[in-house]
Amino acid sequence: MRRHSCDFGNKLVFREGFPIVTFARRGVWLVVLVGLALTVLAALPADAQTAAQNASKDPAYRAFPVFGSRLAVWAVAQLHLNFAAFILGVPIFAVIIEAIGWRTGEARYDWLSHELVKLTFAAFSTTALLGALLLFLFVGYYPKFWTYMTSIFFPTYWVYALLFFAETFTVYLWYYGWDWLSGSRKWIHVGLGVLSNLFGTAILVVANSWVTFMMSPAGIDDSGALKGGVWAAINNYTWMPINIHRLIANIVFGGTICAAYAAFRFLGAKTDEERARYDWMGYIGNFIALAAFIVLPFAGYYLGREIYAFNQTMGITMMGGFMSWLWIIQAILIGVLFLGSNYYLWLGMERIPGSERYRKYVPPMLIILTLGFMIWATPRSMVVTLDEARAMGGTHHPLLGFFGVMSAKNTVVNLMILTTFLSFVLYRRANKIPTKPWVKTGMAIQWAAFAAAAAVVVFYGVYGYFVESIVRIGFSVYQVLAVLGAIVLVMAIDIPMFKGAKTTGQIRWGTIAPHSQYVLILLAVTFTWLMGLMGFARSGIRQHWHVYGVMRDTSVDAATPALGYAANVITLVTLAFFMLVLFIFWLGGLGDKGKAEAHGHAAPVIAGGSGRER
Amino acid sequence: MRVPVVVKVGAFAVLVMAGYSGFANSIPQIESKPPQELSLEGGNVTPAQLVKAGEEIFHTKGTCEICHRIGQKGTRAPDLAGIGSRAGKTKPGMSAKAYIMESLLQPSAYIVEGYPPIMPAVDKPPIALNRSEVWALTAFLESLGGTVDVTLNDIPASVGAGGGAAAAAEIKIPGDPKGGEAVFQGKGTCIACHKAGKIGASPVGPDLSQIAKIQTPDYIMKKILDPKGSGTVAGFPPGVMPQDFGTRLTSKEYVDLVAFLLTLK
Repeated sequence: MRRHSCDFGNKLVFREGFPIVTFARRGVWLVVLVGLALTVLAALPADAQTAAQNASKDPAYRAFPVFGSRLAVWAVAQLHLNFAAFILGVPIFAVIIEAIGWRTGEARYDWLSHELVKLTFAAFSTTALLGALLLFLFVGYYPKFWTYMTSIFFPTYWVYALLFFAETFTVYLWYYGWDWLSGSRKWIHVGLGVLSNLFGTAILVVANSWVTFMMSPAGIDDSGALKGGVWAAINNYTWMPINIHRLIANIVFGGTICAAYAAFRFLGAKTDEERARYDWMGYIGNFIALAAFIVLPFAGYYLGREIYAFNQTMGITMMGGFMSWLWIIQAILIGVLFLGSNYYLWLGMERIPGSERYRKYVPPMLIILTLGFMIWATPRSMVVTLDEARAMGGTHHPLLGFFGVMSAKNTVVNLMILTTFLSFVLYRRANKIPTKPWVKTGMAIQWAAFAAAAAVVVFYGVYGYFVESIVRIGFSVYQVLAVLGAIVLVMAIDIPMFKGAKTTGQIRWGTIAPHSQYVLILLAVTFTWLMGLMGFARSGIRQHWHVYGVMRDTSVDAATPALGYAANVITLVTLAFFMLVLFIFWLGGLGDKGKAEAHGHAAPVIAGGSGRER
Repeated sequence: MRVPVVVKVGAFAVLVMAGYSGFANSIPQIESKPPQELSLEGGNVTPAQLVKAGEEIFHTKGTCEICHRIGQKGTRAPDLAGIGSRAGKTKPGMSAKAYIMESLLQPSAYIVEGYPPIMPAVDKPPIALNRSEVWALTAFLESLGGTVDVTLNDIPASVGAGGGAAAAAEIKIPGDPKGGEAVFQGKGTCIACHKAGKIGASPVGPDLSQIAKIQTPDYIMKKILDPKGSGTVAGFPPGVMPQDFGTRLTSKEYVDLVAFLLTLK
């Protein structure tokens, strides 16, 4: 094997050539798995066709032992989606980080990217296995439903299988070719990362077509049969919004899990270097999560709007029917995410010399976030006793009732996003003093952009109380545009303004308060739980339909459970997910034990870890 | 003793999730149950019973209450207080009954000023009210300030005749309808209480002459095995239908009987 040296931070490490033998040995079992999955995918449509012919002999449902079919499908689907979100989300930012390392020559980015892909890689086969298990459950316990879905989406199965095949081998090549495709061939390696992301995203959108068809079926006639081509069924009302929403949410999810992994390693670190390294990794993970999280509510609005466009009854059931309390829980979870992310940034500023200048901004930001959280979590109407309703003058509280409507909620969520963005801007410039001659003007424009965005948000929030709902819905677009505009403008000024800025000292990585790491874990747990809750919402709004308005659920599980039951299931599945993640990461780490140096991925030294500053 | 990091982190994560679960269990628990099918055809239904059944549909399967209020102005849909008397004056030459039925079955035909055209046809999925249910709902709406004069014959026969849901979830029963007819008249003794097309004439139980048109196969199958658990048709005394068909009939006889009932359209 070839052997060449490279400068890795301030250490000289050796990189091995392409480890063909290791690749072959490690790859065999996954190749077998992929082959098995492809065989299953190829065989299932045929089975489904046969099942369709023998429909009269087959039952519509079978009962899963002990737990029941619904719970079995629910648990496996949630686990599969958690893993799938992780393995699709992490490579998106891993390749960006790798590209940054490639262009800047900073080895720590290359190390981080490799570390992230390693985590993804370990979870890859588990995702595939859970996907296959989910398919078995559908075919076995919901045969009629699956037969119907096959009658619509059969051509997409082949596309999915081919994409899965391409994705698997691209990721394999990306991971195992890290050393082989380094140096002058790095661009090929980065290209492989991009390609694996394209394949991954394509897999996501194909699978989304099935699930969104169940919510908002299209392209079928009154009998439920496909009218023309399958494209009409794929391109249904909620397909594109879900594609966008899931893509962004996957990045957030991947970021929070990576940050939690880093936090876990930070808390168990034995040396300052290790603490510094994982402090930095945790920061990057949280930064990625936060950056994507800020735009997630906008994708949520888009999805909500399309649900209403598809079917008003569905939209109203979702927001004002039996699910209305779900959004209060969602508001609490998102409030925790906002507060937690900001708190982590504020704690992180403590390890930045010069950040003292910005401490005065923390109390007002905390007040805005807390008030926003409280308003967002205010219910529109409450389930109350007759006496309570009489005392209150109706089911709406005379004062708090005003905060329960979308005008107030849209306003505060936009203000919370602006505040979080301000936190990030302050963190970014904590140890920098700009030297450009136009600093005063630049700063003034930035503050004016913040103020203008806040004014637009508040104006349309208040105005929304005086117009009809159909007009009010349109106002959220102006609010979102104002916030996004401010973010773009502020960053467009900030980046050149702080280029070549004086520094007040380097970030002391590894010296952050240990309890900050629990904030990262809180964010990961909360976001994972939130994903489970949103999955329940997406599935639950179909109520007693497998395919909304087309194929009715006539099973014993046709009722949609109450939130308490759903929350208990979500908690148990989330717990199972984290236990599996822990096991898989531990398993993935076993192979690297004692050979990190030899493999060429020695961890870089991060400033602050050994008391030195870089 | 030093607590391992994995234990501390695990306990923290469990605590966080337990908090979320605890909160979700502390708020009002509302389960969304699938709506029950209502059949009134062939029954001796008084206007009062019809209105009561319609009110039930208004609050449950019809999902009307999501947008409409009675005695309270809605932001999404008009207040329905007094609709029974108001409906007759809304469109010139159209009776209250006709207007209400048009609003239910072709809601976009006339939009009340100031409201968006968002109402779905109630006889189409996902609401998919059957003919009996549309009849009852119309009666209930008429009763809000007006006179109940709607009859089953006023409701078009095409209402609730199927569509996507029925077609996609259709159950083909492998039984022999002729054998089922024999069971109906013989061992099952159904004929003692029910009329089925040209067979039978007893008014004790509901007329089943169009049962396959107005009810789902699931309902029919369940009703034979568990009459009490499937509810009683309005206007008939509860508890009359025997509960022991599940043990009295053989599998073949049961399947044949269902196959026969599904021919009654």
